Amino acid sequence: MSEFIELRGVSKSYSRGGENLQVLDRLDLDIPRADFVAMMGPSGSGKTTILNVIGGLDRPDAGSVRVADTMVSEISSRTLPGWRARHVGFVFQSFNLVPVLTARENVMLPLLLTPLSRAKRREQAEFALGIVGLTDRMNHRPSQLSGGQEQRVAIARAIATDPDVIVADEPTGDLDRDTANEIMALLTRLNGELGKTIVMVTHDQVAAESAKRILHLDKGVLVESGRRGS
Amino acid sequence: MTTPWGLALRHIREHWFRNLLTVGAVAVAAFLFCFLVSLIVTLDSQVEESSQNRLVVQSSVSLFVTLPIDYHPKIAEAPGVAEVTKWQWFGGYYQKPENFFAQFGLDPEPFFRMYTDDIAIVAGPEMGTKAKPKEKLITKATDATPERREAVLRAMLAEKRGVLIGKAVAEKFGWRVGDTIPLIGTIFPRADGGSWEFQVIGIFEKRKANVDEQTMFFRFDYLEEALRQKAANGPLGSGTYFVQVARGADPSTVIAGIDALFANGPQRTKTSTEAAFQQSFVSMLGNLPFFLGTIGGAVVFAVFFSVVNAMLISGRQRLRESGILKALGFRDRAIGALIVYESVLLTGGGGVIGVALAFVLAEGLRKVLSNFFPNFIVEPRTMALGLAISLAIGVVAGITPMVQLIRTKPTEALRSVG
Repeated sequence: MSEFIELRGVSKSYSRGGENLQVLDRLDLDIPRADFVAMMGPSGSGKTTILNVIGGLDRPDAGSVRVADTMVSEISSRTLPGWRARHVGFVFQSFNLVPVLTARENVMLPLLLTPLSRAKRREQAEFALGIVGLTDRMNHRPSQLSGGQEQRVAIARAIATDPDVIVADEPTGDLDRDTANEIMALLTRLNGELGKTIVMVTHDQVAAESAKRILHLDKGVLVESGRRGS
Repeated sequence: MTTPWGLALRHIREHWFRNLLTVGAVAVAAFLFCFLVSLIVTLDSQVEESSQNRLVVQSSVSLFVTLPIDYHPKIAEAPGVAEVTKWQWFGGYYQKPENFFAQFGLDPEPFFRMYTDDIAIVAGPEMGTKAKPKEKLITKATDATPERREAVLRAMLAEKRGVLIGKAVAEKFGWRVGDTIPLIGTIFPRADGGSWEFQVIGIFEKRKANVDEQTMFFRFDYLEEALRQKAANGPLGSGTYFVQVARGADPSTVIAGIDALFANGPQRTKTSTEAAFQQSFVSMLGNLPFFLGTIGGAVVFAVFFSVVNAMLISGRQRLRESGILKALGFRDRAIGALIVYESVLLTGGGGVIGVALAFVLAEGLRKVLSNFFPNFIVEPRTMALGLAISLAIGVVAGITPMVQLIRTKPTEALRSVG
C-alpha cells in the first residue's frame, strides 16, 4: 500500500505563558490511502496538532507533511485554504456547525467553493445528508437537532465536497455511548464503502477500536498499539 | 474570492433586536445630520443666491433708522444705477399678532423689473376668483408667463391697495386673487384704530432661495399717502432702497458713489450688495452654522462609536464561525469582507431610513421653521452626503472586527467560545 499521508521529522512547539512547549519533536507518520487511523494519548500530547498539520490548519515548525502528491507544509498561505476545501473534510468534537444555517445550508457551505450551480450544490448536500441518514431533518437548525444528529450533519458537511481525507477530532467526545457507536459506524462505512482516508483523535477506547489502526502518542513518540482483528 | 454573503443577512436576522437598535441609531444620526446640514445650507443659499448686482442702501446708523424718501431720485441718478425701489418694512399682522408675516412697501415697476428672474407669478387677475375651486387658482411656476406678470403689474398700478403675496402666505391664510386682506399695523397704526385694507392682485412663487414666499409686497405710495393725510401714524421714509446695478457697471464703484452722495447727511448711508446684506442677517445669528455643524458632527461621532462597539461584539461572537469557515477553505479576506458587509448593511439601512425620513418630513419641517428658515429645503446632495457618511461609518466600524477575524488563526478561532 502506497503512503498517502506522510509526515517526516515534524516538530511543533507553542509558546504558553512565556514558556516554550514542545508538542511534536521530529515525528514521522505514514498513513496509507483508505486507512482509518485512531490516535490516542494523554491530553496535551499533540494528537490534535497532528490532525491540524495534516489538514493544513496549522504548519509545522520543522519537517514535512505530504498528503497524496501535495507537500502541504510547503503550500503558500494564499493557496492553502483552497487545498483544504478540495482535499480535507473536518469533523470536530463540538460539531462546529454554523448555528444560523439549517442542516442543508451547513452542508452546502463548503460547496460554495466549488464551481457547482446552486441547484447542484443543493442536490449534492441532500445526497450527503442521505448518506448520514438525515434527509428528514435537513431544514432544521443545529439548535433543533440532537448531538448525534448535529455530528452527522458535520460528517455530511465533511464529505460533501468528496475530499480525500477526513480528519476527526474527538468526534464522539460530546456524545453518549449509543450515539457514539452510531457515529463510529458511520465513519467506518465512509472508510469501507467510499474509501475515505480517516485520521481520528479520540480518548474513547471503544471508538478507537472501530478504526483499522490505533496509534498511541506519548512524549512525542507514536506507537502502534493495535490493528482491527488483531 | 468566494464569500458566503447570505450569512451576513442571517446574522442580522438572528440578532434582530440589537441590529434594530443599531439601524435606529444610524437612522436618527442620518436624519439629524440631514436636518442640521440643511439648516446651514438654507442659511448659505439665501446668501449664495442673492444677487451681487443688486444693492441695498440703508442708514449707516442702523437698519431701524429710515432714510428720507427724497433720497429716491438722488440714488436713481447716481452713476451705474439702473433701477431703484423703496423697500419699507411694514410690520403688520392679520387678525392676531401670531399671524405675523413679512410685508414690504415698494415701487412695483422697478421691483418687477429687478426681480424678473427671482419670482414667478403663479396667480394673477386673469385667472378669475370665485368661480373656480381654490386649488385651481394657483398654477405651477413653470406655467408662469410674461403676460401674467405684466397683467399683475398693471393691476397693481391701477389699484393702490393692490398686493403681491407669496404662495406660502396664500396657502397659510387661504387667500386668493381678489381677496381683501385686513392687516393691523404696528409700526404704522391707522389713526382711527382700524385695519389697513389690501387687495390680492397676484401670487408669486420663489425661483431663488433669496426670496421668502412668506412675504407680501404692497405699494409704498399707499402707505405714503396715508401718512401724509394723517390717516396713519409712523415715520415717513424708507428703511432701505434696493438698487439694480446697470449692465457693465462695477458694483463697488456704484456703492462708493451712492454712499458719497449722502456723506454729508442728512442721513449717511451704508450700501452693500444684496448678498452681503443677507450675510449680515446670518451673522446676526452668531456662530450658528458652526454650532449646528458641531452638534451634527458630535451626533455622527457618537453613533460611529456605538456602531463600532456593536460590530466588535458581533465580531467576537463570530470568531468561532470564522474558524469553521477557514477550516472549510474560505479565505481570510472573504471572512473579513463578510463582517464589513454586515456592518455596511446595518449602517446603510439606517442611513436610507434616516435620509428618507428627512426627505419625507422636509415639507413639514419647512412649515414649522418657516419664521426662521423660510427657504428650508433638504437638498439631494445633503441626502447623498448623509447616506455616504452612513455607509462610511459601516465600512470603518467593520474594519476593526475584520482585522481581528483575519488575524486569528483557524485553530485558535475554533477553540474560542462564541
